[in-house]
Amino acid sequence: MKDFRLHLIVLILIVVAEKIGNISITVGVGKIVLLPMMYALLMGVATAPRFTKISSEKNVRTASSLLGVTLMLLMARYGTLVGPSLPKILAASPALILQEFGNLGTIIIGVPLAVFVGLKREAIGAAHSVAREPNVALIGERFGLDGAEGRGVMGVYICGTVIGTIFFGLMASLAAAYLPFHPYALAMAAGVGSASMMTAAVGSLSAMFPQMADQIAAFGAASNMLSGLDGLYMSIWMALPFAEWLYRKSYRMKYGVDPEPPVVRNLEEGKEGEAK
Amino acid sequence: MKMSETLGVLLICGFLSLVANVVGTKNGFVEAIPGMLFLIALAFLGIWLGKVIPGGIPGVAYVVTIGCILTVPGVPCAAAISAAVSKVGFMQLCTPILAYAGVAICKDLDVFAESSWRIVVVSCVVFVGTYIGSAIIAQLILKAIGQI
Repeated sequence: MKDFRLHLIVLILIVVAEKIGNISITVGVGKIVLLPMMYALLMGVATAPRFTKISSEKNVRTASSLLGVTLMLLMARYGTLVGPSLPKILAASPALILQEFGNLGTIIIGVPLAVFVGLKREAIGAAHSVAREPNVALIGERFGLDGAEGRGVMGVYICGTVIGTIFFGLMASLAAAYLPFHPYALAMAAGVGSASMMTAAVGSLSAMFPQMADQIAAFGAASNMLSGLDGLYMSIWMALPFAEWLYRKSYRMKYGVDPEPPVVRNLEEGKEGEAK
Repeated sequence: MKMSETLGVLLICGFLSLVANVVGTKNGFVEAIPGMLFLIALAFLGIWLGKVIPGGIPGVAYVVTIGCILTVPGVPCAAAISAAVSKVGFMQLCTPILAYAGVAICKDLDVFAESSWRIVVVSCVVFVGTYIGSAIIAQLILKAIGQI
C-alpha cells in the first residue's frame, strides 16, 4: 500500500486515459467504442519491467495484491446501480437465471474445436466454461491443476486475464452493431465472465446507448452476481458432464478410437499405497 | 491484509477515481466527494462483515447487497444516496482498477506467452460462444416475458 511510485504511475495513466476519452470508430454500419479503461490497461501493461521498465517487479507485486480491494469500490457502485432498478431486475429475473444455459453454447463449439486443433483432455478444462476463478477452483479440486484439464482451464483463465477485458468490450460493441440483440440482452450476457470483462462490455454498450446506460449497468451487474452463484452449480451438474461426453464423441470422430479414461484425482489412493 | 491497510487502499483508489471523474466527466471534484465517501464506507463495511460474520460469505456479497438495499426506491435516504453516488461515474471507477490490473498482468505475461496458440484460439471461441449463447437466451426470454 505504501508503494507511492505505483500509485503515481497509476495516477498518470488514468489522467492520460481519461483525457483521451471514449473513441468511437465507425466500422461499416456499426461502431466500435474504445474506452479509457482499455487504454489504462494497455498502458499499465506497457510499463512492465519487460517493456519500458517504468514499473518495477515490486510495483507489479503490489498492484496484484491490491486488485481485490480496489474492485470493492466498483462493486459498491454496482450495488447502488442495481438498487434503483431492482423492480425492473426482478421482473427480468427469469432471463437472468436462465441465460446461464448460454454456457452450453460454449461447449458445443468449444470442445470439438479444441479436439480438432489437437488438444487432448485439456479440451475439457478449457471449454467447459468461460474459466473464471470459481471454475478454476472446481477443476483444480476435481482433476488437480497440474493435470491436463488443469492446464486447459488455466490457459483460458490467463487468456481471459490478459486479453479478456478488451475482448469483451470490443465483442459487445460489435454484437450491438451487427447482431439483432436488444441492448438489455447484451448487457445480461456481459455478466458471464469476470467483473472487469462485464465492466468493459457494459461500458461499450452504455457509450453506444447512453439513454439506457443505468439499466444496462444494472442488468450487467445483476447478471454477474447471479453467474457467481448459479454458474458454479451449472458447471458441476451440466457443463462438466456434457463436456466430457462431447469430448469422447469428438475424440472418436477425429482419431477413430476411444480416448483414454479420465484420471480423476483420488486422495485416498496415496494413503492406501502407504498402508501396504 | 490488515483492515487499516484495506482502508488505505480504498482511500487511495477513491482519490484516483475522483481524479478520473474530474478529467473524464462533467462532474466537479468536490461535488463527487460525498458519493465517493459513501462508496468507500460501504466497501469497507462489506469487507469487514465478510471477515467477522461466520459462514464464509465473501465481503463482496455484503458490499453489493447492502448497496442495493440502501438504494431501492422507498428506503429512507435512498434518493439522497442515489443522488450522491450518481456524481461518481462508474466507468471512471474502472479506470484506476484496470490501470492497476494492467501493471499486475505483467506477472502473467510470461505464462501467456508460453501457452500455445491452440489455447488462445479456444479461449476466443469460448468467450464468443458464452457471450452470444447467453445473449440469445436473454433475448428470447426477455421477449417472451414482455420486458423488451
